[in-house]
Amino acid sequence: MAVNRLSGSDLHGASEWGSESLACGRDAATAWDRAEVGVTPDEHERGCPHCAAAFADARRLDSVVHRMSNADVEPPPSVMDRVMAAVRTDLRPHDLLALDSPHGPARLSRPAAAAVLRNVVDRMGGVRARSCRIEQLDGRDDADVTITVTARFGVDLASVTARVRQMVLAAGEQALGVPVRRVDIEVVDVFDSSVDGAVDGAGGGKDGRR
Amino acid sequence: MVATRGRVGPTPACPVVVELPPPPVDELDETTLVVRAQEGDVRAFETLARRHQAALYRLAVRVMGDPAEAEDALQEALLDAWRRIGRFRGDSAFSTWMYRIVTNRCVAILRRRRPMPVEVDDTAAAPDSPARAVELDAEMAALGRALSGLRDDLRICWVLRELEGLGYTEIAEITGAGVDAVRGRIHRARTRLAEVMRPWR
Repeated sequence: MAVNRLSGSDLHGASEWGSESLACGRDAATAWDRAEVGVTPDEHERGCPHCAAAFADARRLDSVVHRMSNADVEPPPSVMDRVMAAVRTDLRPHDLLALDSPHGPARLSRPAAAAVLRNVVDRMGGVRARSCRIEQLDGRDDADVTITVTARFGVDLASVTARVRQMVLAAGEQALGVPVRRVDIEVVDVFDSSVDGAVDGAGGGKDGRR
Repeated sequence: MVATRGRVGPTPACPVVVELPPPPVDELDETTLVVRAQEGDVRAFETLARRHQAALYRLAVRVMGDPAEAEDALQEALLDAWRRIGRFRGDSAFSTWMYRIVTNRCVAILRRRRPMPVEVDDTAAAPDSPARAVELDAEMAALGRALSGLRDDLRICWVLRELEGLGYTEIAEITGAGVDAVRGRIHRARTRLAEVMRPWR
């Protein structure tokens, strides 16, 4: 039996850290995986008592394991509530942009400013903001914005980037009160409007982050 | 949401031409959400956390065998994720990274735990607790007890494989063990469980 063979090998410490072989030499995990996915046993497996035992064990457990894996186990909503409350108080307070104001110094949270610019881009349609970095040089009020976007498959990228630049310039000035000196835009991915997510492998794909 | 001291520049008057409502944040692709969260966007992080919390909690419940401890593990793991997301480099899938964080939290809680009572009382959980509700099925309850009797590293690998359906390579990334060790642990867990569960068929 597979089990007997395994118990025997337990006595030898080496098997503790390595993969297990059945007494017939077949890899034990592979035999079990094959049984689980319901493949038809091959010629060896049909004749081999060790493989047959592994198949029998796997099939015996299969239905209860499936029930356990499909059981509806949901975290109580209070967990997310506590996490988000902690996250909001954890915001780095010193990550601020300086605003030019005739009435005294003012500061604006950098993540909040980036969220405003991303929101403007998201609303254009056909384009989504991904990274949005706003950098102010020491002692200056104006800022450089570096933004990466994903575009809907088939949109005219040249006109989209031109519009993104216009919108970011306008929003910096009008919504944030931060004059934008320069906008760097990079289209890092495309998304398919039917699934509304980024297309895997296109543009930057999963690794396309900057 | 805009944390300011003093004035936030001129009132946004007309010119920002708004053409469309923004796409709901929960429709955004995962990479975009990860990048935004890395740049401090709380809503993007919340969306990611909501997407993954059920799977992470499932893992924690099966590894800890206790809903209250699983809640603790999930909560601590999500906070870890927020604090560390800047260090996520995309070498693995985001879900793999999250599984690793919650697994580490489970391991830490298991280490702090007093030695387990030898015999787990079948009626220990309150009748209306989530664990009871999902395990009215007596065979599944027996499997749960058998699972809690496994060594921690065997149980973690088995849960990732058999309940979460992950591949050996991904489980190796999550647990930090080699692929061969993972295969060995899963097989040992399977055969032990098969032994314990033999009376059920």
